Amino acid sequence: MSAAAKLGDAGRVVLRRARRIPRVWVSTVCAAIVIAILPFLFPLDGKAHADWMQFLGRFHPLLVHLPIGFIVLLPLLEFAGMKRQSLRDAAGFVLWVAFASCVLAIVFGLLLAYGSGEIGSTVTGHMRGGIVLAIELLLLLVVRQSWLAGPQPRSFFILVTIVLVTLAWTAHHGGSLTHGSDYLTRYMPATLKRFVAPSAVSAHPHSFFARHVYTVLDTKCVACHGTNKEQGGLRLDSYESLMAGGKDGVVIAPRNPDGSLLLKKVTLPPNDPHFMPAEGRTPLTPEEIARIRAWVLAGASSDATSVPGIFIAEDQEEAPPPVGDYSGLMGEIRQMQQSQGAKLVSVSANPSDGLILRTTDAAASFDDAQLAKFQRFAPFIVEAELGRTAVTDAGVETLSQFTNLRALHLEDTAVSGRTLAKLSSLSQLSYLNLSGTKVTSEGIAIFKNKSSLRHLHLFNTPAEPVSTAESGDRSTQ
Amino acid sequence: MKQHPLCSDCEDKITPIDLPIPAGLKKEWSACESRRQFLGRAGKVLGWASLATLFGEASLRHSVFASASDENDLKLPHFAPKAKRAIYLFMSGAPPQVDLFDYKPNLAAQFNADMPASVRGNQQLTGMTAGQARFPVAPAHWPFRQHGKTGTWISDLLPYTARMVDDLTFIKSLNTDAINHEPAIMLINTGNMNAGKPCLGAWLAYGLGSMNDNLPTFVVLQTKTNPKENNQPVSSRLWSSGFLSSEFAGVGLRSVGDPVLYLQDPAGVDRETRRKMLDAVEEINRQTLAEVGDPETNSRIAQYEMAFRMQSSVPELTDLSKEPQSTWDLYGPDAKQPGTFAYNCLLARRMAERGVRFTQIYKRGWDVHDNVVGNLPILCQETDQGCYALVTDLKRRGLLDDTLVIWAGEFGRTVYSQGGLSQENYGRDHHPRCFTAWMAGAGVRPAVAFGETDDYSYNVVKDPVHVRDFNATILHCLGIDHNRFTYEFQGLHQKLTSPVPAFVVQGILA
Repeated sequence: MSAAAKLGDAGRVVLRRARRIPRVWVSTVCAAIVIAILPFLFPLDGKAHADWMQFLGRFHPLLVHLPIGFIVLLPLLEFAGMKRQSLRDAAGFVLWVAFASCVLAIVFGLLLAYGSGEIGSTVTGHMRGGIVLAIELLLLLVVRQSWLAGPQPRSFFILVTIVLVTLAWTAHHGGSLTHGSDYLTRYMPATLKRFVAPSAVSAHPHSFFARHVYTVLDTKCVACHGTNKEQGGLRLDSYESLMAGGKDGVVIAPRNPDGSLLLKKVTLPPNDPHFMPAEGRTPLTPEEIARIRAWVLAGASSDATSVPGIFIAEDQEEAPPPVGDYSGLMGEIRQMQQSQGAKLVSVSANPSDGLILRTTDAAASFDDAQLAKFQRFAPFIVEAELGRTAVTDAGVETLSQFTNLRALHLEDTAVSGRTLAKLSSLSQLSYLNLSGTKVTSEGIAIFKNKSSLRHLHLFNTPAEPVSTAESGDRSTQ
Repeated sequence: MKQHPLCSDCEDKITPIDLPIPAGLKKEWSACESRRQFLGRAGKVLGWASLATLFGEASLRHSVFASASDENDLKLPHFAPKAKRAIYLFMSGAPPQVDLFDYKPNLAAQFNADMPASVRGNQQLTGMTAGQARFPVAPAHWPFRQHGKTGTWISDLLPYTARMVDDLTFIKSLNTDAINHEPAIMLINTGNMNAGKPCLGAWLAYGLGSMNDNLPTFVVLQTKTNPKENNQPVSSRLWSSGFLSSEFAGVGLRSVGDPVLYLQDPAGVDRETRRKMLDAVEEINRQTLAEVGDPETNSRIAQYEMAFRMQSSVPELTDLSKEPQSTWDLYGPDAKQPGTFAYNCLLARRMAERGVRFTQIYKRGWDVHDNVVGNLPILCQETDQGCYALVTDLKRRGLLDDTLVIWAGEFGRTVYSQGGLSQENYGRDHHPRCFTAWMAGAGVRPAVAFGETDDYSYNVVKDPVHVRDFNATILHCLGIDHNRFTYEFQGLHQKLTSPVPAFVVQGILA
């Protein structure tokens, strides 16, 4: 109640002053309106306009840092000004310069966007942020006059905070335009990354496209050819839009790298006006170009996992999540290792890599009942070697509770495929060997759309007869 | 009843002194006895002293007294491995890289031209060609063609290998320190030119342990030799366990007759009798172990037990009667004859299925000093289909996803001809500076050609890979950091990659 009253008091003071000097307010409102209607005078229609606009507009990234600096300096001076009056006087000057440079930056920014014909939600957001920021600064400029005599009231700091928040929001959008929207999150530790919504890259996250082509486009191209901007009517932020091309037609011609506009543009001499990435952004490295070229040559597929002739050293699969802590069960596990029969062995010296269920020594005597005994270790087992055992469809149902299972060997067992659907809940299953079983193509239909399953082996099964199996390898298709 | 003087059951101890023998002999005997007693006691004291140092802390940690299955104690694998097992196709004698994989189209025009001395540099030559007046360039006799999606150049001599080039990782810049067979083959297998060091397979058996209690962890298969070929000897020190416990040495399966000699019980001895006998032997061995403390006694106990289990597992392993027709279609008719390379490749696949950690197949005869045109087609014909069949079979059965296949010799061969060069024939001498090997399967990236040689396939010009780096890379694929994988012996932290720094070849890793 009292706070509201205070705010009311402040408002009344402002009004009283305003009545005394109405001309300031009239001009303030006029200036605010002029700033606010700027975007309507130069609507972003996606078409490029006069070159001189772009020329001047390209000074926007330079100018834009002036208001940022001044605005950040402002609260510092105000705080310091509580002790030293001279600093507070300086704050007034800084605020003026901040406002003036802000307006200048908006004008140049508009020239850039309007001149180059950039559109997109980030461009619009960035522009609106800038305009709101300028109007806020103007307001601050006017109301600050009335508080010069005494100490700053709380409403002043609220206003400054609002200005800073607007600044951060606008600057972030600007940064996203220049560096790409995932600039901040790209190298974020995986633990933090989980909280940021993952971007939908492709229907095939393990494909060569997703891992080696999309990543290049995303870092080097999407800043101008994506949701933020759509230069040349071209978007490169998904497989579909890449293949669809832009105003100049398709940019990727499968199996024809020399006829692919995209490759042509990135391999021009850097001083060529058509060289991409434009505007002095980081060019593609020879390795990146080689990857895209090889991918195009191989048919520019969206789901192929490898491309002949290309190896990438840093292409490490994402580390699987650690299994839980099973140190309490270690005594039992060791006892098993000492004796004959099925046992659990560790994947590596690092316990969180999980356990392998090894049945080689038990072989044909290992059946569903024995498998069920391992249920208590289920979450820690990442690989189950059940080839040539007596495990049947009932055992497969048990396996569906092995939530961290990544590799499952069921070759030469009596598994019929009737219960395989249960395994579709295993989110990490990437290897499944059903060779020499009686599974049919209907039985494995459930895995058709399971992208995590990268190696499905069906040698010598009704689903994949022997005659075609010799050359058939599903793992690379 | 009068006992025989030498009967040990007699009540009174009879010494030679009491025997009716010449006095001089009696004197010598007494001196001999005391010396024997002294040496015997001294030996025991020394033995205990050395054992005490052995026990220090290391021996218990190592698997001297613990069983090999205590793999966790070794903290291995250091990281999650891509490959669980490996199959090593060893081409003993050194295949000529320039005739098979290292395509040099410009050489044809230089037939019989002198090789520039600048290319040879200061390379020491073997006694076989050091005296040659000239070093005439001998281009590959057979044409090369591009194969696979990668367009890899492969000699027409290897039509089957050509079909799988997209699955292979070629290393064209492999090089070694030695120019003669024995040191070179020791170096690539054990990391040291001198005998006495454990080989790759023994290190793996020691470090990773067994995956199957009924079969050896490390098996060596020798291919029957072809008398037409120049067969360099291979000896058991190539699969020796060196200073590691001998239970980690490679177990050789014979190429002719019974795979393991004396594995069948003799006529009239059934399995139960054999078991009882082994139990008795084990008890005696345990007594010896308690008395003498020699860790090798433990190895002996383990080997008796393994042999007993192998009595049933090996016949099952080598029984190929249940192999489907598709197997024979793939491996070819040779595979039905024990001892051929194709047969060994099929056995290697069967062992991979049954949990053998490391299989090494030796194929001798690649030492083509002369008559390359006559012998090389035979060598290729003997091995080409087997290599292809093994990789393809592993792949279609889903085993290539956790098996590493390696194909290598001990060094390369010269581009210049040893002896006379004609349009029809030529010879090639040893060459350590560059040779080609390939890998396939888990841990390595397929369809890669790593490293480059110069126009004469003589010097490495890009990405050299020393055999130590090669071994470090193999260990890496199996989850082992070669620098941390050491065994304390003779005051050193011994390792496979020897004290000279070695580096994992990152460029070929998957």
